[in-house]
Amino acid sequence: MNSKKAAVQGQSLGLTCCQTCQNLCPSTDECCNRCGQRIAARDVTSLQKSWALLITAAILLFPANLYPITIMTSQGQVRRDTIFSGINHLIQLDLLPIAIILFTASILVPMLKIVGLGIYLMAISYELPISKKKLMAGFHIIEWIGRWSMLDLFVISITAALVNMGQLLDAKPAPAATAFALVILLTQLAAKVLDTRLLWDRLESKDDRN
Amino acid sequence: MDKDELDKSIVLCRACDLAVRKRALPTGVRALCPRCHTNLYDTPYCSINGMLALCLTALFLYFPANFYPVLELHFLGSVRTTTIIEGAMSVADQGYWIVGIAVLTAAVIAPGLLIASVLAQILIVKYQLNNPFFRDIYKRLLRYHGLLSQLTMLEIYMISIFVSVFQLSDYTDLYFGIGTFCFSVLFVMVIFLQREYDIEHMWSVLDEQ
Ligand SMILES: [Zn+2]
Ligand SMILES: [Zn+2]
Repeated sequence: MNSKKAAVQGQSLGLTCCQTCQNLCPSTDECCNRCGQRIAARDVTSLQKSWALLITAAILLFPANLYPITIMTSQGQVRRDTIFSGINHLIQLDLLPIAIILFTASILVPMLKIVGLGIYLMAISYELPISKKKLMAGFHIIEWIGRWSMLDLFVISITAALVNMGQLLDAKPAPAATAFALVILLTQLAAKVLDTRLLWDRLESKDDRN
Repeated sequence: MDKDELDKSIVLCRACDLAVRKRALPTGVRALCPRCHTNLYDTPYCSINGMLALCLTALFLYFPANFYPVLELHFLGSVRTTTIIEGAMSVADQGYWIVGIAVLTAAVIAPGLLIASVLAQILIVKYQLNNPFFRDIYKRLLRYHGLLSQLTMLEIYMISIFVSVFQLSDYTDLYFGIGTFCFSVLFVMVIFLQREYDIEHMWSVLDEQ
């Protein structure tokens, strides 16, 4: 089996890989004989589902970044921080490492995830001539790094529980927190529902090398 | 009869459907798909007894890690503490229940279910695999394992404890409690458990009988 010369796909062999347990099944079967879940050679509808989830997430990215995510009261002074101004404040306090961590987890990762998934889905939908290897590498990175956006929400929950001394010192979450949580949830789902095998079918004729 | 005719020496890549011939691997090496670099299969090494020990330790630490405060705050003579659950609740109380549920799921519920699920799988493999009822439960547990594993975010929570400490150190003094210690050990146990666990191996146990 030389993958460089002729890439043989399961579909042409009449075989399907069960997406639940990775068991090898004949394509004619309806259910996997090991785990009993339904099997399908390709899940074509997953592309639409993934687009719908991604577009919703992209829209929610605006309220998540434009509205304040925390309200901090210190000695009677009230600060409303968006994700960005909160990071800015940390830089002013000379907490650069923390600022970099939060910038990566709350701004860089969600943006890259949405742009990356968008390019990936467009490559499938419109058969764009982009290297499949690079697309797939990007997809693996997105899958792995995406969950780290939860960091900000954990920090907000810890701070809100600890800091509640009324007018003296008080921290509360603000509306952007919900939008941000939904962005994480929807982008993770968009990556999870997608049947990545679709990419490798559609571009087969065009740019296969690199 | 169809099933017996299948060529079991071929693996299909889950992500791109490429057919790859299976080869014997040296220990500790993973086979990657030559086309898209998705993980294809591991060396079939998955110590059931080692996992049992990790599971029991994790289960034992799970309760103190969740009931003792992970962080203490001292401010003008008053002390505030928080557990993971109280953190989630305080956000939910403010009306941000989606955030509260997300925190609770990722840091408390999913890790707990993951540990319980792996423990149940190990016990079934060891003692009850021939019983059809338990065999069915075993399949169900394996089906949800991937999801639970993805939802478990202890490592991220660990980092967020430190980020909170640095963020608040400007205003007050913060201290770690017994809960922090139990939580860090729990986090290490779960990392080792996930490293040791091999889903393909657990599925293949079903084929052997
Ligand atoms: Zn299956
Ligand atoms: Zn592949």
